[in-house]
Amino acid sequence: MPDLTPAADHLWGFLTALRSVGVPAAPTKRADLLWAIAESPPPDLTTLYWYARITLLQNVDDLPAFDRVFDAWFRQGGPGGEDPPPEGDEGGAPSPGGPGEDDPPREVRPGDGIEASTLSTYGTREFGRTGEGRHALMRTLEAAWPAVLPATPSRRRRPARSGDRLDVRHAWRRAHRHDGEIIELRRLARPPRPRRLLILVDVSGSLRLHTPDLLRVAHTALRAAPARTEVFTFGTRLTRITAALSHPHADQALRAVSGLVTDADGGTAIGAALARFLGNPRFAALARGALVIVLSDGLERGDCAPMVRATARLSRLGHRLVWWSPLACSPTYRPATRAMAAQLPSLDHLGGVRDPPTALEEVRRLPAVLSGPRHTAARRWSTPPPLGA
Amino acid sequence: MTLWREGELAAALEGAGYFADEGLCTAIHLALRLGRPLLLEGEPGVGKTEVAAVLSRVTGLDLIRLQCFEGLDSGQALYEWDYPKQLLQVRVAESRGQDVGDLYREEFLLRRPLLRAVQAERGAVLLIDEIDRADSEFEAFLLEFLGDFQITIPELGTVRARTPPIVVLTSNRTRELHDALKRRCLYHWIAFPEPDRERAILRAAVPGLEERAAEGLVRAVQRVRRLPLLKRPGIAESVEWARGARALAEGGSPWPVALRRALGLLIKDEEDTRLLLAHAEEVFDDA
Repeated sequence: MPDLTPAADHLWGFLTALRSVGVPAAPTKRADLLWAIAESPPPDLTTLYWYARITLLQNVDDLPAFDRVFDAWFRQGGPGGEDPPPEGDEGGAPSPGGPGEDDPPREVRPGDGIEASTLSTYGTREFGRTGEGRHALMRTLEAAWPAVLPATPSRRRRPARSGDRLDVRHAWRRAHRHDGEIIELRRLARPPRPRRLLILVDVSGSLRLHTPDLLRVAHTALRAAPARTEVFTFGTRLTRITAALSHPHADQALRAVSGLVTDADGGTAIGAALARFLGNPRFAALARGALVIVLSDGLERGDCAPMVRATARLSRLGHRLVWWSPLACSPTYRPATRAMAAQLPSLDHLGGVRDPPTALEEVRRLPAVLSGPRHTAARRWSTPPPLGA
Repeated sequence: MTLWREGELAAALEGAGYFADEGLCTAIHLALRLGRPLLLEGEPGVGKTEVAAVLSRVTGLDLIRLQCFEGLDSGQALYEWDYPKQLLQVRVAESRGQDVGDLYREEFLLRRPLLRAVQAERGAVLLIDEIDRADSEFEAFLLEFLGDFQITIPELGTVRARTPPIVVLTSNRTRELHDALKRRCLYHWIAFPEPDRERAILRAAVPGLEERAAEGLVRAVQRVRRLPLLKRPGIAESVEWARGARALAEGGSPWPVALRRALGLLIKDEEDTRLLLAHAEEVFDDA
């Protein structure tokens, strides 16, 4: 029998390299590859490539990284050169900048994307008090949420007046009382169970004016469905504020949040923040099957690819992905920045929200978004060239 | 069940009218060889579902299909007790003054696709179609089944497959599947076909199509797929387009005109049509 140790070592190195670039290969999958090779030895490199790809790969998004590692290990005769670092977390991370490097203020028009800065300032901020007139509005908003939140049939059936199933067990039990005579039939139905609502609030500097109001909007949602709502803020870092925001009084809740959120009014790295959210399996699980609402202007500085990738993933995880941008309140707004335009196909809806009144309008628009087909934001905002152009 | 060597598998699939590329052939080969479920992802219309149908044809095994949808539950996927029949049985026994006997017998069992697949004597091809449409809880429920091909019925015991079924799962990737599910499957992403393979498909699916026409048509379809459309046309659409254009050409339209007139078979969205017409020159220039 030939000595297979070098080949096995090489294969092992390949598997380890895969893990180091962030392509997960679980032990069962590795075993599958070895089993496949043992069952029918691949006659050539291409077949080996397909064996490895089919047994190890779990997600087509990992394909480029997988191909790079495979080429490095099998097509160039060894781990030649340094592999580029995995894209993802590091891709859109803020570059450190000193306090003196801030740009001078510029005039900002909606959608031109120059206001986002990657400068992070760590410091808390007070979010002010809710005005008198606002309270009534926020109560209206709070009352508007429950009716629009999507529901899915619960997995567990419950007795109901009119259901799709007979409650035979119950009928049997009742029959005992009547000498085995079945007198009435009971029915079972799957009562609706609300989906989770996940709200991600951008607290970066470009939204400075709107942050308190956006948090108030999130507060009304949390009050309306406390058990099924999760709220996060993101700027240069990611903070889970569900617990802090759950105080019944809006101002108290905002005060608690301001003590927790240390990156308010700092720089933006939306892509990195969202990637961090998705990179945490416990957080990503919150997005699964949920109605995801992102409150952000979508102004991403630098490379927007990580943000677009993260949005696409968020969209695939959730039931619907809704993006509410304060900029979109302006009638002249067009999602024209590179980042916004690139991620538009992943969105189910892009609406304008900057304060409770605009939020109320958008909340009332949600049922149409939830009942319609997915990924229609691009369609609604696109202006295709006229016929015959 | 016969096990093919790899080269033979491609030929067998082709004989059944399916033109698979090397990657897909390897995926099917390994799925048969290792007895693992095969998870196929890809854009709509690239022939994911057809893989199961063609596997059933070449293996001669029954095709059992489970179409997934939101709210799919175990009663629709596994089995269910036929309660009305049981009640009726009680009534009949009563009127005849007989003993009712065991009400949880196999004859009162309604078999749903997964149970049918497990109980098939010779094995079967089980297609779990569009798994991304089912709730994510349903995936958790599939795990036991895909792991050991067995189903536990509390009243009857565990039913284990004598011959494990060939399982094909498809997903349009409208949402992400759980890792636990993916770990149990072999994974293959079916891309849009390269020009050569698409020509071969057209030749087989649309007999009588001229070679030159097929070439122009495939070139046009490949260009159309590069446009930023809302829905990129799949293989099914390009076959329909070829059929439509051929019918029009036989009716007397010159070929390029026929192609444009039959466009409704390729693009099924108003905005996409407008976008395509705006780029008509570059798409159709030499078709």
